[in-house]
Amino acid sequence: MLLAARAAPVKVPRATLDILRLPNGLRAYLVEDHDAPVVSVEVWYHVGSKDEPPGQTGFAHLFEHLMFEGTRNLAPDEFSRYIVQAGGTDNAHTTEDATVFWETVPSSYLRLALWLEADRMRNLVITDRLFRNEREVVKEERRQRFDNQPYGTVIETLYAHAFTVHPYRHMTIGSMEDLDRATVDQVRAFYDTYYVPANASLVVVGDFALAEAQDCIRQYFGPLDGGAPPEHRLPSEPPQMTRRVIKLTRDVALPAFIEGYHMPADGTPDAYPLRLASKILSEGDSSRIYRRLVYDKQIALQAESSGNFTEDPNLFFVFAVLNRGHSPAEGEAAVDSEIARLRNEGVTSQELSKAKNQILRDFVLNRQSTQSRADELGYDAVVLKNPELFNTEIDRFLRVTAADIQRAAQQYFRPENATVVEVYPNEHAMGNR
Amino acid sequence: MATPQRAVVSAIRRPVRVPAACYNHGVAKLSVRYPALPLMLAGPPIAPARFLDLPPSVPPPKPLVLPLPNVSVLENGLRVITVERHSLPIVTAQLVVTAGAEADPPGRPGTAQFVASMLDEGTAGRTAQQIAAAIDQVGGTIDTGADWDDSFAAVSVLTDYTDLAFDLLADITLRPAFAPAEIERIRKQTLSALEVLQGDPSYLADAVLRRLIFAGTPYSHPADGTPDAVRQLTAQDLQRFHSQYYVPSRAFLIVVGDMTPAESVRQARRCFGAWRDRAVAGEANAVPPREPRQNPTAVAPRPHTTIVVDKPDAVQTEIRVGNPGVGRANPDYDALSVANQILGGPASNRLFSSLRSQRGLSYSASSELVCYRDLGSWEVKTSTRTSETVEAARLVLREMKRLRDHPLGDVDLKAAQDYLIGHRALEFETAADVASQVMEFTTYGLPFEDWNRVPQRIQSLSKEEVWKAVQHHLDPDGAVIVLVGNAGGFPKDLKKLGPARVIPIDRLDLAGDGLERAAGAR
Repeated sequence: MLLAARAAPVKVPRATLDILRLPNGLRAYLVEDHDAPVVSVEVWYHVGSKDEPPGQTGFAHLFEHLMFEGTRNLAPDEFSRYIVQAGGTDNAHTTEDATVFWETVPSSYLRLALWLEADRMRNLVITDRLFRNEREVVKEERRQRFDNQPYGTVIETLYAHAFTVHPYRHMTIGSMEDLDRATVDQVRAFYDTYYVPANASLVVVGDFALAEAQDCIRQYFGPLDGGAPPEHRLPSEPPQMTRRVIKLTRDVALPAFIEGYHMPADGTPDAYPLRLASKILSEGDSSRIYRRLVYDKQIALQAESSGNFTEDPNLFFVFAVLNRGHSPAEGEAAVDSEIARLRNEGVTSQELSKAKNQILRDFVLNRQSTQSRADELGYDAVVLKNPELFNTEIDRFLRVTAADIQRAAQQYFRPENATVVEVYPNEHAMGNR
Repeated sequence: MATPQRAVVSAIRRPVRVPAACYNHGVAKLSVRYPALPLMLAGPPIAPARFLDLPPSVPPPKPLVLPLPNVSVLENGLRVITVERHSLPIVTAQLVVTAGAEADPPGRPGTAQFVASMLDEGTAGRTAQQIAAAIDQVGGTIDTGADWDDSFAAVSVLTDYTDLAFDLLADITLRPAFAPAEIERIRKQTLSALEVLQGDPSYLADAVLRRLIFAGTPYSHPADGTPDAVRQLTAQDLQRFHSQYYVPSRAFLIVVGDMTPAESVRQARRCFGAWRDRAVAGEANAVPPREPRQNPTAVAPRPHTTIVVDKPDAVQTEIRVGNPGVGRANPDYDALSVANQILGGPASNRLFSSLRSQRGLSYSASSELVCYRDLGSWEVKTSTRTSETVEAARLVLREMKRLRDHPLGDVDLKAAQDYLIGHRALEFETAADVASQVMEFTTYGLPFEDWNRVPQRIQSLSKEEVWKAVQHHLDPDGAVIVLVGNAGGFPKDLKKLGPARVIPIDRLDLAGDGLERAAGAR
């Protein structure tokens, strides 16, 4: 197939990026475009769950919730009321590395969104009652999204065993015990350390006029006290020398397993072949792992691989839910033989061009909404520390060779570098059916 | 590149809608002064020495004028609906037939979804793996599925590959092979997926609520099917559904993206021009429209139907409260949209405020107006820790009653109107957003001109009109309550909610209206 052998010649859109640095340390990244009459504003605070000391897991995310609970100028929840009444949408999320607040509004409301973000950057007011209430909400969130879900806590187990010293070993949601231990007194210190202009990046993408937006940013954020950039001094995870296997029994209908291999940080040279490897292993019905486990052997209901690419080295994992009558061992053997094939034989040029086309497709799809463009730009600027990657990262993918992928597979997909969690249905779940 | 995988370990303040299966698949003081500080003055900006302590006033957005789709009809009756967007080099072509799970034959729940799953699993001219290889190679995607009133297949590609996209779309929708080996494979997958869903409290709560609210209609069964039905489906069942409903007179083709209407019609004619209706006996099950209920305030309070599904290992109770609603084309739809926004729409709403902001009982509390062709429902969803189950359900009922029994305030009405009108720019932002709007309007026979009329209609609604619609369509006294959780840990005052029936999870039977199978039966 001639068509297939080339990487798509598709013209990828390039954005004009404007960067503004305020004297107080705030960095603003702006991309003006007029595809739709909306604008997205994001504030990235460079603090995430990896900055939490032992015993305080979940605090970064709990704090994120508090940022909606009122300021010197606004009552609890009033922030969101302004956004909603504007017809906009707002929310926030916390990862291991960063806490991100965002709103997308019809373009005439940019000024309002910027004021609201500037206000809560330095004017937060949290009472003990609000703190306790929001802590209960976060505990409900943990129950809803993890504890009460089939397979909901499997990833937590994987991370707890794959990492021994680096704080990626705990989940962003935190443990119930640590959440219960958190106090309102910790709130002010955390706020003054991390929620300062020197640790914040503002992203504005969409339908606005550059000069007007820049003036507005200077006006609202300029008077804020800058603070000092916080240090992120974290222990490095030592190399894993032996394979770790953990067996769990859970109230689930079908067995499952997850394998996690240590891999390098996002933005490093090896991250790109590994992302392409994940496409070749499991993206689409013609991918290797899908084809072997789900299609041909019908061992698994679902099988996928993906790298959790982050600021510090993280895990590349393969996850599968097995069909009735198939054991985790059988699934692991099938996955491991695909992993071995990748190490020993590499990938074909056709597979490589396929993976690159899938990356190009993702790239284009991620440019569709102002919010997804802002997500990407913020991530590049804060986590990868190179905002220009917003335009240029795609080239890093397109330069990867088949040899790069094989070398990366050989380096990281070694049995002793893996932690495996096997999940078995308990008797109750088996007895149900 | 930011990855979706990061979501695995991230936590989000407000929940977004999650798919049923874990494995895959929120006014007042906006002042009317014009900008607090005029910034548009010429000259360099001057940063004030202190932070402004009032939010700036901003002008309202310019009225949004949406470009309307271009509609052409082919000789065979197929409607080709094109929305041009040339900002990105991507095209999505989606074929929709107006028959979904509501057309599942009696005793065969899951047929429509099974048929949709089979579309890209082999055709007369291509094997499943050839289809997968062809679309994966160009970095495209194929997505198939069935909702309640429609089934669809969508192919998305970078602009260079549109010929391939139309070829594949026509092949999978017109000529699926329903090969026995592929049927068995999909059957096995579906049965496994159903097994996992049996342990998912959120799925179970939705399914039980559906059984009760839509009892006696073709909308009450699980759209995903039931294990028994999925085991029994035959190639003939699937073929029959396909020949009956995948016909040009029931179909429309949506093309969104980097393509002109002339080109999409040319492609449609090339690939779908020879498609013909087949003469098939027996039309789709027509659903009789429900009579609007009489003003419920005139009806004596009735006991609730409360169903508890006992899942002893649950750490949280999934709560659903709902009552029958209206079809999508019902004249009360706009008024109810406003009312729903006040009760449980995005972010700032009464349920969120009552259950979460004031009491910390829940991470999420929302309401939804579910509208099908001729009928619908109005549903509240939340979840809470086991010990607060009764209190959370009581607060949901309290907010429903408050909305029904008390006149709306001006502030309530304006906030909801502003949101619904302002939010429209975001509802049409991506190609996928536009395609889903086209699909909804076409399936339900609504005119595209309404895209630009809805804001005016919503703006012109009065408090009285909205309240009147609420009184007709919200029924807290007769609402169905579903609780899926650890019943052993529920507070003793469960009876406050009315007589409750407890069904152990291993006896739950989503296939029957009785909801429960005898002890020991499978």
